[in-house]
Amino acid sequence: MSEAPAPAAPMLSLRGVGFDYGALAVIDGLDLEVARGELVVCVGPSGCGKTTLLSLLGGHLQPTRGTVERAGPSRTIYQDGGLFPWLTVRENIERGLPRGTAPQARARKVEEWLEITRLTEFAGHYAHELSGGMRQRVELARALAAETDVLLMDEPFSALDYQTRNRMRRELAATLAERPRTVVFVTHDIEEAVQLGDRVVVLGARPARVRRVLELPPGRPRPPAAPGVAEAEQAIMEELGLH
Amino acid sequence: MRSVDPGPRAALLRGGSLLAAPAILAIWWLTLDVRSPIALALLAAASVLAITATARALPRWALAAFGGGVLLAVWWIADERGAFPVGTVPSPAATARAFVDEIRSVRLIEDAIASLYRVAWGYVGGVVTAVPLGLLMGRSIAWRAALLPWVNFFRSISPIAWIPFAIIWFGVGDPPAIFIIFLATFFQIVLATTAASASVPRVYYRVAEDLGMRGHEVLFQITLPAILPQLVTALRVAIGVAWMVVVAAEMIAVRSGLGYLIIDARNALRMDLVVVGMISVGALGVGLDRLFRLLMRIPSLRWGVER
Repeated sequence: MSEAPAPAAPMLSLRGVGFDYGALAVIDGLDLEVARGELVVCVGPSGCGKTTLLSLLGGHLQPTRGTVERAGPSRTIYQDGGLFPWLTVRENIERGLPRGTAPQARARKVEEWLEITRLTEFAGHYAHELSGGMRQRVELARALAAETDVLLMDEPFSALDYQTRNRMRRELAATLAERPRTVVFVTHDIEEAVQLGDRVVVLGARPARVRRVLELPPGRPRPPAAPGVAEAEQAIMEELGLH
Repeated sequence: MRSVDPGPRAALLRGGSLLAAPAILAIWWLTLDVRSPIALALLAAASVLAITATARALPRWALAAFGGGVLLAVWWIADERGAFPVGTVPSPAATARAFVDEIRSVRLIEDAIASLYRVAWGYVGGVVTAVPLGLLMGRSIAWRAALLPWVNFFRSISPIAWIPFAIIWFGVGDPPAIFIIFLATFFQIVLATTAASASVPRVYYRVAEDLGMRGHEVLFQITLPAILPQLVTALRVAIGVAWMVVVAAEMIAVRSGLGYLIIDARNALRMDLVVVGMISVGALGVGLDRLFRLLMRIPSLRWGVER
């Protein structure tokens, strides 16, 4: 649990962060640090400001109070509808490549990402012609193609059916093992949190602040029977008042 | 019965249905001398029943042709029965003759080209100016608040109401008609562009921000493609309105075009020519609509049309 060496500089750090929508404090006094290569899952009751937190981390919103530091650019993957529907799968992924990529390298890299996410035969399809799971794989490919260190995921698998969701978790874990990234993953699904997270951050109801942080043993995705999983699940449910 | 293959039966039904329409028309023709209202009502009711019973087995084109055939037949039979006082409704034969004459003298083609020319300029002018304004209003709450009520206000005024000003400002000839078409197009497209660009999902802009797109890239790679399906639908509606308005606009201040053909024929009491003008307007209108419908088949637009 505490074997991981303390990293020198965090990839993401929030200190005393607060965010108000008008008079409504959505987030208040939130502290969080994410190390390079870590996968941090944030869980919390719905409407607790999880999406706002990701917008702050992604630089799409500026905090009302406190500071947000990012070691580099990030990419966000959304629950659904983040793909450009007027572009094909190939074109969507191509848009994700770093801006400086040489023209000759672009096509090759797109093919590579299509292969990694097993989308090669759907390269010419449009988003509305794909299943929900495939659309999220395209989102993942587009975000990973950017080669940014930080990946922010906003309930990316919530719109999928149970089996697809499980498969996507395995695929995400496998892809990250091959191409490590620093990930902040927001979900309301406790099972998902304990399967994927190196750490699970439990947020309280509005205004959101960290109520508890759970560390999980290495190896993702964790099967439900893995040591520590059931206990962590129990602890999160208690923290959220679900017991 | 249970083991009968539905294939030949369906084919038989279809063949019978195709025959039903001409059969009904033939009966009407044979009973031209019948004057009793009760007999006519019974005949009409029987025809309607026969048509509805057989119509489902017919292909679309046959139904469309049949619908047109019925309209033509009603016109023709009513004329043969002397339903129209002299000089009120021309006969189909007189109209057909006038049509042939107008095409032979090339006047009809010249008039159609004159109308299309005015519509093209007014419409393109309207679209080219309306889209940027609509984008501005869609993306900026302040501009929208300042202008949207007034765009709505002017859109509610029939472009025809501008005719007095059009003549005072632009004199006679093409310019006043083009101006009227411009107005008919402009306000509609501003409104549609505003609505479409204001409703582009914010997530696209967030992704664009992540991708490091700059202002003009966001405009051309996000906003424009995102509004295109709605815009194309609006363009299709607008060309229909523009085409309707050109006829009215040509009834004043010009001496060419299909609208002028109609008003000129009326002044000469040539109702057959009036109908020729109307049929031409209708046919070209359908043609323009078909042309714009083709736009909706563009693959990168289908996402917004099919859903």
